[in-house]
Amino acid sequence: MTARPDAPLKVTGSATYALDNLVDRAAHGFLLLSTVAHGEVASMDVDAVRSAPGVLGVYTPFEPLALHPVTSPLLGPMWLPLQDTNVTHHGQPIGFVVAETFEQARDAAGLAAVTYEERQAATSFADGLASAVDAQPAASEAPPSLSVLADGVASIEDALDASDVTIDATYETAPQNHAAMEPHSAVAVWADGELTVYTGNQASHLVAADLAGALGLPADAVQVRNPVVGGAFGGKATSMPAVLAAAAARELGRPVKAALTREQVFTATANRPATVQRIALGARRDGTLAAVRHDSWSSATPDLGFIEPTSHGTSREWYRTENLAISQKAVPLNIPPATFMRAPGEGPGSFALESAIDELAVALAMDPIALRTRNNSTAPPGEDLQWSSKHLDECFEVGAARFGWERRSPDGRVEGDWLVGMGTATAMFPGLRFPATVGVTLHADDTATVAASGADPGTGLLGVLGIVGAESLDLDRDRITPLLGDSRLPPGGLSGGSTATASAGSATMVAAGTVIEQLLALATAPDGPFHGREVGYADGSVHALDDTDRAPMTFGEVLRSTGRDSLGATGTTAPGEEMAKHSFGSWGAQFCEVRVHRLTREIRVSRLLGVFDAGRIINPQAARSQLMGGMIWGVSAALHEGIEFGADGRVTNRDLADYLLPVNADIPDVDVRFVEHPDTLLSDLGARGLGEIGLVGMAAAVANAVHNATGVRVRRIPIRLEDLLED
Amino acid sequence: MDIALQINGTTEHLDVSPGVTLLDALRERLGITGPKKGCDRGQCGACTVHIGGRTALSCLTLAATVRQPITTVEGLSTHDQLHPVQRAFADQDALQCGFCTPGQIMSAVAATAQGIDDPDEVREFMSGNLCRCSAYPNIVAAVRSAGSEERRTDATV
Repeated sequence: MTARPDAPLKVTGSATYALDNLVDRAAHGFLLLSTVAHGEVASMDVDAVRSAPGVLGVYTPFEPLALHPVTSPLLGPMWLPLQDTNVTHHGQPIGFVVAETFEQARDAAGLAAVTYEERQAATSFADGLASAVDAQPAASEAPPSLSVLADGVASIEDALDASDVTIDATYETAPQNHAAMEPHSAVAVWADGELTVYTGNQASHLVAADLAGALGLPADAVQVRNPVVGGAFGGKATSMPAVLAAAAARELGRPVKAALTREQVFTATANRPATVQRIALGARRDGTLAAVRHDSWSSATPDLGFIEPTSHGTSREWYRTENLAISQKAVPLNIPPATFMRAPGEGPGSFALESAIDELAVALAMDPIALRTRNNSTAPPGEDLQWSSKHLDECFEVGAARFGWERRSPDGRVEGDWLVGMGTATAMFPGLRFPATVGVTLHADDTATVAASGADPGTGLLGVLGIVGAESLDLDRDRITPLLGDSRLPPGGLSGGSTATASAGSATMVAAGTVIEQLLALATAPDGPFHGREVGYADGSVHALDDTDRAPMTFGEVLRSTGRDSLGATGTTAPGEEMAKHSFGSWGAQFCEVRVHRLTREIRVSRLLGVFDAGRIINPQAARSQLMGGMIWGVSAALHEGIEFGADGRVTNRDLADYLLPVNADIPDVDVRFVEHPDTLLSDLGARGLGEIGLVGMAAAVANAVHNATGVRVRRIPIRLEDLLED
Repeated sequence: MDIALQINGTTEHLDVSPGVTLLDALRERLGITGPKKGCDRGQCGACTVHIGGRTALSCLTLAATVRQPITTVEGLSTHDQLHPVQRAFADQDALQCGFCTPGQIMSAVAATAQGIDDPDEVREFMSGNLCRCSAYPNIVAAVRSAGSEERRTDATV
């Protein structure tokens, strides 16, 4: 059996992504975007649009689709398109044109004549740093600034001054786009006052709630379907195209498709912010960290909607230190919105922290692994709650042996025209769970379904549900059908925060236990086949424990004998008292070898290794794939991708030729290993998440390898050839 | 304009405007949704099909210009029997979200047909197909494993 239950559909082209749903009479919608970064739409002449061939509807801030305000439980107030004339960034949706065909909608949208009252736009992150404001880091309840100081230490500066060796450096990371291969899209269909929307997303029940709110419908009148999702990475928690398609479909009385073009994805959805981070580390001569200061700046929208939590996501927890001070500021700009992107905070934060640790190792003339091992933490600084299960030292030990770290020289080595260097970094991602409900149903044909509303956007959750379901029901995997991506299924399995396996997996175990109890109760009821017996369940069957001669009955036989087609139960789990007892996190050791051409300074990544401590690994093949993908994301952040803004606030590289992603030829073989220590303090399942940790630390490992190869410390990613050219 | 397209062994007659791409004709007019629109600019490869046995980007091809037979990912497997490349993609876990997979597979079929097996040559050949999930090493493994299976089968025949 393959690692993914949906692989046969995906390799034959029969997996139905949102726009693959063929709906009779579907009209096509095309978005119109702003061409200024800040101001008001003064006028929109859409007469030519309206009279263009095939046009069915034209919606603008002056003739909007009626929508009600929505607040998402996860992301707060949702921005709804066309509700007012404000323009906060270049490329903001300001119109929606619906026509009989895609070509007609696109061509008609181009006929709109728009005028603006432009206002001064703030578009430069660098220029805004001086006037940055304190800001609440995303996904954190901590204050923007906090410090932990040893007794008698007055300030972090005093602790740094008192250190034998210090480094102090500033790092920069580029804004990024999720660039999922499937652009954001939706098909909306109304029937008898009820709405069905096909749209790729990370949790169908949450998108259904958003739609019900925006359209003023009862929650049960909306169904959202996303059985497959063409990538999400944090960028599909909400679906703006779904809102437009649903509202327009209601007005027009026919189904509507809405899809962003690739260019529109860069400005009509949300991105990872740019960051600047200043880190000062102080250590004793033996490498013991005495002081860590990590100050962070994030680009942001004018309302400070999402702040990339770089210092709170890394230095707050990673190393043992007696003195710690972190801060978070934001620079409000007229740029597209920001949101969570794979390893929010930890990704760019680890580039800075793990580069700084490497710089400290150089300053101490110490091996970078030895420095990390010396400062291994047993709990976050200043907190009592110990890590539930942390085996980072083992990751480094296994990784160093496997990678041949002992062959690394502090000055790299030369092979022909190539300067070769090795780098390493720590990876960490918190071990989290979200509340989750999963349904397990036994069927009379001796098969079972395991079902939740959430999503498998390539993460492998569908396989996890199948495996955990089979294990919990003591059945072969081919008798389990896992189901995801329908808002009418039990609300669980949201794809986010690397939580889905631990959350939906443990809920599956609870649901399976409950349905087995119900099965046994059914079997021993007065009209049941085991009435008056002591019974147990094993191997998919009910056994009489007090009469071993009595033949067991499969659950299907029990259901049939009691006149039932099926028997179902749900199980719910949520973070509980374990959070008051331990700190939880996955850990890893990243290794990278780069080759830099001595003349052209071309940078090639030649080897990658990641060794991860993520608790129990449920589906090893898919787990390895997901970590490999994460590690390649780290390489991409280090060497390839970054959004570029023009002075006018325009994204200048908003397509896949100019926004660089790695291609196959950029990537070597990738070695992924696990040190598998089940974390049963987090949940009975023993698994922590691994969707995000794969990329954490990798960009620093690349930069550290580049330094090892060339002696050049690059503190800004993506690293460009010109960063390595000698003056 | 009236055109006829031979797709996966079937001739389809349709009336399209001259600006309609082969990708949109397949997806929106003929219900063949395996080829995907990832960029509509020939930059991602998700729409890759074969025209006359050669790989082509259907988003950069106008439907009305196509004269030779077209094969899409749907045309590879027959009677529930997966094509060796499709099976290798599933076995090697050469996909995650799966959105780029139809295009990857059409390029991979071309790679194996040309006998490309050297890992660096496979990487180069497959570099017109972006995979944001970054299954690249597994895609290389799938192409090589399918290729060696096809060569074994040929030797047996």
